[in-house]
Amino acid sequence: MNGLGFVWREAVAGLRRNVTMSVAMMLTTAISLGMLGAGLLAVRTIDRTQDLYYSQLAVQVALDEPTSAGDPDCGSPVCRGLRDQLQADPLVAGVTYESRDAAFQRFLRIYAGQSILQLVRPQSLPATLRVTLKDPTRGDAIVQEFSTRPGVRNVVDQRRLVEDLFTFLGSVRNAAFGLASVQALAALLLISNTIQVSAFTRRTEVGIMRLVGATRWYTQVPFLIEAVITGVVGAILATGGLVLGKLFFIDRLLSGRLISNAIPAVGMSDVLLFVAPLLIVIGAVIAAATGYVTLRLYVRS
Amino acid sequence: MLRLENVSKIYPTSARPALDDVSVDVEAGEFVFLIGPSGSGKSTLLRLLLREETPTRGSVYVANWNVARLPNRKVPKLRQRMGCVFQDFRLLPTRSVADNVAFALEVTGKSEHTIRTVVPEMLELVNLTGKADRMPAELSGGEAQRVAIARALANRPLVLLADEPTGNLDPETSDDIMLLLDRINRAGTTVVMATHDRQIVDAMRRRVVELHLGRLARDDARGVYGARR
Repeated sequence: MNGLGFVWREAVAGLRRNVTMSVAMMLTTAISLGMLGAGLLAVRTIDRTQDLYYSQLAVQVALDEPTSAGDPDCGSPVCRGLRDQLQADPLVAGVTYESRDAAFQRFLRIYAGQSILQLVRPQSLPATLRVTLKDPTRGDAIVQEFSTRPGVRNVVDQRRLVEDLFTFLGSVRNAAFGLASVQALAALLLISNTIQVSAFTRRTEVGIMRLVGATRWYTQVPFLIEAVITGVVGAILATGGLVLGKLFFIDRLLSGRLISNAIPAVGMSDVLLFVAPLLIVIGAVIAAATGYVTLRLYVRS
Repeated sequence: MLRLENVSKIYPTSARPALDDVSVDVEAGEFVFLIGPSGSGKSTLLRLLLREETPTRGSVYVANWNVARLPNRKVPKLRQRMGCVFQDFRLLPTRSVADNVAFALEVTGKSEHTIRTVVPEMLELVNLTGKADRMPAELSGGEAQRVAIARALANRPLVLLADEPTGNLDPETSDDIMLLLDRINRAGTTVVMATHDRQIVDAMRRRVVELHLGRLARDDARGVYGARR
């Protein structure tokens, strides 16, 4: 199309005429979108981690000493009574019994070769009823209901134990989004200002265009394209930054012995297939919207 | 072709109306001088025709367009059918003579093919064929105005509006421009020219519309500039 070439040439000429401003605009946009991307990756990691844990987490109803002793299959009346009541509870998805001996075997597996094994006897461990819930957030109800039953030592909602981890990841996400929004404001103001400067620089040209009957497509779209190019280039730079961040920071952090099993790794596909397209779309749409509003408010059509 | 009906224009910053109940009717193919001292309302009248302004009262018609009521998106169509030239030429200094003319075609969406045929035609019409590749800074005032006229005619307008086109030119060059405008008019284009130039008006003996303090003072079919005030 004839007009497309014109609009594109004008937009590129506009960016080149004011290189320093264009670069500042792209970098600010990139940092803002990069922060947004980091926040999105944090959200995704949190979701995955939660999936990982919640599929395994349960409410553990530990039985007291007399009930635990010598009961390999929950055959005692007290244990059976508790199990039946739990299974009848509408919140409960399933109940499995782990005897004292089975618990001890598991303990041996987990802590193989460590000195703590010397101290533990089967008698130190309770038999437990592992309760999985239909809604993993409702552990409180089970804790309340069964803590004081006869034969119960205590009830532990494992979800509570990992909540600190999620609080930490959540604050990483919030910080990223907070920085992203401050930076986004700076990017928007820069884009708006650049369009005003650009329109002022080209006022003679635009004046003549209006005079000879050029439509808005010719008088305004070049400025919009300028803004959109900035947004898209910013998004591409941001994606590059996130890839580098993943390779040299996140991967190293999460490969530590302690944490590697606790938090799932951030995959390259998360960055390139999930975050990058989102950033490009968001960058382009927000830049275009800023451009449109600026033209409406400050530049005569 | 052009009609103003009881048009008044009051700018918010001014107490006196720039135009006060002015009615003028211009037929297709006419050549009209619009005269009057500075501030008499000549430029306002031209701006109303171009829909750079809208009248406070009254109606403005160009061909079949009710200009004041025209929706914004149709204003470009109106302006494509009206050519404009100014005292200060308003050429783009970074584009050659040919590109300045081509610009008017390019930004109104004409095809490459049209541009390639129309630009040389227009340059020939204004006698600048040999200077297609010159830059505006290399041109004399008369040449620059002829480029501006070529650009104004490129979209084949119904009307040519000229706001003091000879204001920056010496008398001899002015005469050349007037010969050119006369030729364009005889080829069928309606011409409305605002001017201060007594000699030109007296020499041409065309219709004269005189404004004074925003009011229509005179409308003579074959007029002269009038008595010195």
